[in-house]
Amino acid sequence: MSIRYESQKIAQNFYTFAVLLFLVQVLVGVIAAVQFILPDFFILNFNIIRSLHINALVVWLLSGFMGATYYVVCSESESELWSLPLAQLQFWATVVTIAAVIVGYIWMGLFPQANNPIMGINPLSEGREYIEAPRWADVLIVISVLLFIFNCFMTMLKTKKWTGIQGVLLGGMVFLALMYLPGMYYTSSMVKDQFWWWWVVHLWVEGSWEIIAGALLAFMLMKTIGAKREVLEKWMYIEVALVLFTGILGTGHHYYWIGTPEYWMWIGGLFSSLEPIPLLLMVWDAFRTTRENRNVANKPALFYTVAHAIFNFVGAGLWGVIHTLPQINKWTHGTQITTAHGHLAFYGAYVLLVISMIYVTLPAIRGVKEYNFSRAYQSFWWMTISMVFIVLTITGAGMVQVYMERLMGLDYVTVKANYNLWFWILRAIFGAGFLVGVGIFVVDYFKLGREPMSATGLPPAVL
Amino acid sequence: MSNKAAKNLFIYGSLFFFVIFLALTYDTMGKLDKRAPEITEQVNAGKMAWHKYDCIGCHTIFGNGSYFAPDLTKTTDKKPKQYLVKFLMDPKGVKATAAMPTFGITAKEADDLVAFLEWCSKVNTNDWPPKPILATAAGVGGQELTAGQRLYRSLGCSNCHLINGIGGTTGPDLTHVGGKRNQEWLFGHFKDPGKFVPNSAMPKVEAPDADLQQLTEYMLTLK
Repeated sequence: MSIRYESQKIAQNFYTFAVLLFLVQVLVGVIAAVQFILPDFFILNFNIIRSLHINALVVWLLSGFMGATYYVVCSESESELWSLPLAQLQFWATVVTIAAVIVGYIWMGLFPQANNPIMGINPLSEGREYIEAPRWADVLIVISVLLFIFNCFMTMLKTKKWTGIQGVLLGGMVFLALMYLPGMYYTSSMVKDQFWWWWVVHLWVEGSWEIIAGALLAFMLMKTIGAKREVLEKWMYIEVALVLFTGILGTGHHYYWIGTPEYWMWIGGLFSSLEPIPLLLMVWDAFRTTRENRNVANKPALFYTVAHAIFNFVGAGLWGVIHTLPQINKWTHGTQITTAHGHLAFYGAYVLLVISMIYVTLPAIRGVKEYNFSRAYQSFWWMTISMVFIVLTITGAGMVQVYMERLMGLDYVTVKANYNLWFWILRAIFGAGFLVGVGIFVVDYFKLGREPMSATGLPPAVL
Repeated sequence: MSNKAAKNLFIYGSLFFFVIFLALTYDTMGKLDKRAPEITEQVNAGKMAWHKYDCIGCHTIFGNGSYFAPDLTKTTDKKPKQYLVKFLMDPKGVKATAAMPTFGITAKEADDLVAFLEWCSKVNTNDWPPKPILATAAGVGGQELTAGQRLYRSLGCSNCHLINGIGGTTGPDLTHVGGKRNQEWLFGHFKDPGKFVPNSAMPKVEAPDADLQQLTEYMLTLK
């Protein structure tokens, strides 16, 4: 395995940035888990730690998507990038912007008054979940994404091989960029604020990101198994079509209780209940394709790809649909049930997706045929078992919270501090387990293809 | 299905659903203002403060946010404003065990934040959050309540105080208050809490003396 086009190496820059931010995300995640037990633990308060946790997540996934897309576009267009220097500039500009945003959050954590509005705009944090990045950073991020899309599009234009995979991938990226815009203006109504905020958050993770996932799934199955493009692309179109048919109006499941009209209960309940269907189709697609050919060289890549499809369905699909009907959501909304869904959905749908893409493409970028598989499997099991138990403990905490706070009428603080204490302790322990898995993955990322291999393809230590 | 048909289904089908979504959004935007009180300058100032201090980094509002601290959608229905203002400015001074840090919120910002939260509490949220089933049921049927117990409920004391594990945690636990305080103290404290507890955040209980007497009797049974 080796890459055909030099510009595909740019993917590695984005992957490295992603992997490092992944480590940061999980480190602060463990701190946040301890703060559930001891709120005063650590110099930064929970709100800053959580901003770092979820923003690092979003940025590293986006960075992974961008790296993967540059790789895929070269491969599909059978061409070098339109401009490699532009891609490099876009990469470093993104890194500098994100670094500045992170410094801003920490600064604000130490000196809360530093976020005092300047001409009506908060300079360090917008104070809006997931899109905390201040306005100046929003603008720079949009420019970066536009440069990225432009570069990809010009590359496709060079050879005009309009394959379905790169078409859908770029379509997903354009949709993603457009859906960032509704989060970029201020409204004095908290109801409208949340209404447009959901356009960004929901139409990203249950819209454009799932489109990107559908396209990358097809690409990965093609590369690891050598499955037929025609069949893969047909199912890809059907999957992403169903993602949008259910997901766009499924946004309504966020409009039950924020001051929006009652008809959203019907629309949101109906369409969001159907959202797991395309995700189940992706699982079936992955298994159907895998059965065709068992002689796979890059086994960890296929392993992660199939695991991504399964956990996308379980995390985003099943853990979402259990509380999506308004009759149930009335009781579970705003509780730890949502946190549980969030963790398994992001892990299954997007963390495993980006790691899959790394294992599919990195050996080729580093120019190796074989590499040590053992760390890839080790990190998978450490991360996955830990995440499953993190999710089970938070689901348990959510059930206790729904029963005691919502049904019995106990105080929020009473339930959190007394009845759920053991769930928080277990969650922190499994969080440490997840950190171990991430540590193994980070080591593997930096060592892959850079250590000597024996003639049989097994690492010296195994023989 | 051919690939071309699948592709067309994707493109035109998605556009179809997006157009419906846009139409519904347009309709919703026209209805939102009627479902919420007017936004005054103070409410907007409160919202700005809400963002400045990244309150959503711990709390939820309308159920959306960080699940680390209580949901604030209906908080002004339950807690006295005077208490909220004091708490915002110095959380640990009002309640030693509070997890909330001191941010340096000014008196004006605290007033604005309370105005903002009060606006939120009046938004028509389709009856969310729901009234707890068991707590509501316990107040309707069951055993005869004494006059003092009825007053304890009607005055909303349990929004801040606990008895046998039920109620709020912002004020002191009253489960054993009858063993600690005498009649004179309790009665006088209801009339003017600040006289008995320096810097108390509890508002005066606005009720006739006869009612305060009944409430005191009830407190004395809690031993």
